[in-house]
Amino acid sequence: MTVAAAPAPPRGSSVDREQSMALAFLAPSLLFLLLAFVTPLVLLLGVSVSGRSGLSLESYAKLLGTGYYLNVIWNSLRLALLTTILALAIAYPAAFALARARGMVRTALLSCLFLPLAASVIVKAFAWTILLRSDGIVNRILIALHVIDAPIRMIFTETALVVGSVNIFLPFMVLPIYAVVTQLDRRLMEAAATLGAPPVAAFLKIVVPLTMPGVIAGVALVFSLAVSAYVVPTLLIGELYPTLASTIAKAYLLARDPQFGAAAGVVLLIIAIIVVTLSARLAGRENDR
Amino acid sequence: MSARIAILFAWACAIGVVVFLLSPLLVIAAASFSPTPVFDLPVGGASLRWYARISALDGFWPALSLSLQLALLSTASSLALGTLAAIALARGRLRGARTIATALVSPLMMPGLVLGIALLQYFRAIGFNATWSALLVAHVVVTLPYVARTMIAGMARFDFTLMEAARTLGCTFAQAIRRVMIPTLAPSFLIAGLFSFLASFDNYPVSIFLTDVRTKTLPIKMLQYIDEAPDPTLAALSTLILIATVVLLLASDRLVGLHRMAGTGD
Amino acid sequence: MSPPDAPHLVVRQVSKRFGAAHVLDRVDLTIAHGELVTLLGPSGCGKTTLLRMIAGLESPDFGAIELAGRDITRVPPHRRNVGFVFQSYALFPHLTVYGNVAFGLKSRGRTRGDIDAAVKRALSLVHLEHLGARRIAALSGGQQQRVALARAIAVEPEVLLFDEALSALDRKLREEMQVELRLLLREIGATAIFVTHDQDEALTMSDRVAVMFAGRIEQVAEPRVVYARPASLFTLGFVGLSTRIPGTVAASGEGRVEVDTAIGRLSAIGNFIVGAPVILAVRPEHLRPAAAPSGNCASGRVRSIVFHGANSLIEIEAVAETTLLAQTANDASAHLKVGDATRLCWPVAETFAFPDPGAGA
Repeated sequence: MTVAAAPAPPRGSSVDREQSMALAFLAPSLLFLLLAFVTPLVLLLGVSVSGRSGLSLESYAKLLGTGYYLNVIWNSLRLALLTTILALAIAYPAAFALARARGMVRTALLSCLFLPLAASVIVKAFAWTILLRSDGIVNRILIALHVIDAPIRMIFTETALVVGSVNIFLPFMVLPIYAVVTQLDRRLMEAAATLGAPPVAAFLKIVVPLTMPGVIAGVALVFSLAVSAYVVPTLLIGELYPTLASTIAKAYLLARDPQFGAAAGVVLLIIAIIVVTLSARLAGRENDR
Repeated sequence: MSARIAILFAWACAIGVVVFLLSPLLVIAAASFSPTPVFDLPVGGASLRWYARISALDGFWPALSLSLQLALLSTASSLALGTLAAIALARGRLRGARTIATALVSPLMMPGLVLGIALLQYFRAIGFNATWSALLVAHVVVTLPYVARTMIAGMARFDFTLMEAARTLGCTFAQAIRRVMIPTLAPSFLIAGLFSFLASFDNYPVSIFLTDVRTKTLPIKMLQYIDEAPDPTLAALSTLILIATVVLLLASDRLVGLHRMAGTGD
Repeated sequence: MSPPDAPHLVVRQVSKRFGAAHVLDRVDLTIAHGELVTLLGPSGCGKTTLLRMIAGLESPDFGAIELAGRDITRVPPHRRNVGFVFQSYALFPHLTVYGNVAFGLKSRGRTRGDIDAAVKRALSLVHLEHLGARRIAALSGGQQQRVALARAIAVEPEVLLFDEALSALDRKLREEMQVELRLLLREIGATAIFVTHDQDEALTMSDRVAVMFAGRIEQVAEPRVVYARPASLFTLGFVGLSTRIPGTVAASGEGRVEVDTAIGRLSAIGNFIVGAPVILAVRPEHLRPAAAPSGNCASGRVRSIVFHGANSLIEIEAVAETTLLAQTANDASAHLKVGDATRLCWPVAETFAFPDPGAGA
């Protein structure tokens, strides 16, 4: 029996339905992050300005006004800068070599990058204390090679700290650069050669700019990781090199000064946000080119 | 000529990177065989006794169990949440999809320490005292961005007509996800799952503020061991974890290809 | 199940808007059991949207769709029992050929033995019996196409839908598949709907062709009728070649009109009032060089000759830049060369008049 010819009642267009389904799929993640990520951070901001009698900026005044704490902030920034620069210097050429590797060699090299990520920072840092001790391997090798006569004190120095820090965060610099380098078209260099450019100029003018997105990603990642490093400075240098991270930990776990700890946390957060925004802006500009 | 020098230089750096990265791991492995109770390189003989002592470590098994539970559950939750979000971003034709994607991945760049104290305050303020649950929530916050990043990239390359085909062949949407999307996107799921698992298992900056005397994850326990009595048992434990990771990496390479993890999945 | 002489599929007043544009505008279509119908039209005419609506992958804003007497407008795709062959084949990469073909059968919870028999039958229908264990990535384009077909057929659907399913094949393979597909569909008695923009494919494969334009069906008829008796200027232009001559109606009566054109007064079939602006059209195979004038005639000079194997397409430049298009068989009597003067005549019965859209109604 045929159905009456009246048209069916109008429905919402399926575009709206697809969109509302998409929002329904997104809602759990976004809601979760709102409740468990954004709100705590906003609360942190609130705590950082709430003294015993209402709104107060005394923690920020202490943090940003005292020479001691300004030095602490500078310590964190300095560690991050040194780590980033050194890591970039080693990682950049290494990424190119890695990208040229194939088969077993490539798997082996990549494993060497991934494996340290699985070892706990705590144990790695502790391993460095063994390596850099007065009777540790590094000293023994240097003496055997007659570079030095007597063991030098390496542990609990800034040098040890930077070396350890670079060691921990190096994979995070190599991998983003490697990801970009593997996508480079080999023929670009060839094209440059046919256009008369000498190899060095071709490299600088063509390859380097194309790797910039990876470099920016690596720099942003390593910088933000290093500026908030806690275990590495604590184990390798301790009280000699107070960082923002150790300040936060102390304020919460020892001194029970949540307002101050929160303020230090906010400062660290702002540094991280600046790094991310800058890198996103730079990367965006690179992609637009 | 200069090209060859450049390539040699690049390889020298690569080898330097490898040696540099592996040296602490080798030290740990070597120290685990130390014949003396000092956490140092084995001098005069090797011993396996520290491996035997692992299970005797105070509070070891509960810490290991807790870390495994948290890693598995947070990974599962993040995979569910992240996959749904990735589908929405790939198909939903939403304006500002890129901003949403950035927002989902943003916790990665936040210092874990800050997140830790923020969560500590927050849970106290809302009276959320169940330590185990608090840790789980925190670990989902930690792992979700890893999963979101990998799944968003993988989903963007997924051919959704496969889903349409499945639906014309008798699958509901959920069945189509199970029978077509998950198998096709298996590499992305594996990579996302692996990164998420490691991020949770090794996490300390967030966990350190949320653990209490009775509930400690393995990394926090190890910090405690180092503080109290650093003997080579710790090195033995770390070496075992390293070996487990090697096995995991080899399996991942066989299933997915490590270069894929490093290239786009990362 | 509806009785065999009742229509198998009915599309009733189906409409869909996307923003302000009508993707489909009150489309009506009735398809009988075992019929092969093609939706033919240019990109954006709505043919794919209509096909996807029949499958349930999209839904209309207005209207209804009935399959075997059942209203399926709101039924989700997995319960519609239609087979769909995608342009990109959409084969599941993680399954073998067997796994792909068995997929729909597994969804329906058939037993292992049933599935096995059905898969074997489907694969033998597409001549791929021995490829059951092959991985999809190892198949050629033509093989993938057959697997997609087998997969859709295996569940014995009510109707088979093809979304430009042959467009990814190269020309020779495509033409072979057209013939094979038609034979196969006849053999299993399937009702099928094709979507294509390729008019040759439509004319070859279908029992009826539905020519679509801007969301409406311009004409539904057998291929022969659509070609020889196009209902609109669009259909005339989209299917096949033609000569088009604008003019004004000078006299009209009894289904015929006399039209004044740049090349003289011509007679045509049509109903118009005197003074109406029209376009006269005739298919190229009707224009012949004529010694004695009969029907409509025109003279001109040969501008180009394009060789097409069995016949040639000849462009003749007549008076006032009017171009005539003639198709002649390449037999021994063909003598025309470029630059020759010639006189062509064609029957009035094959000359059609359409309203001239560009002359400001």
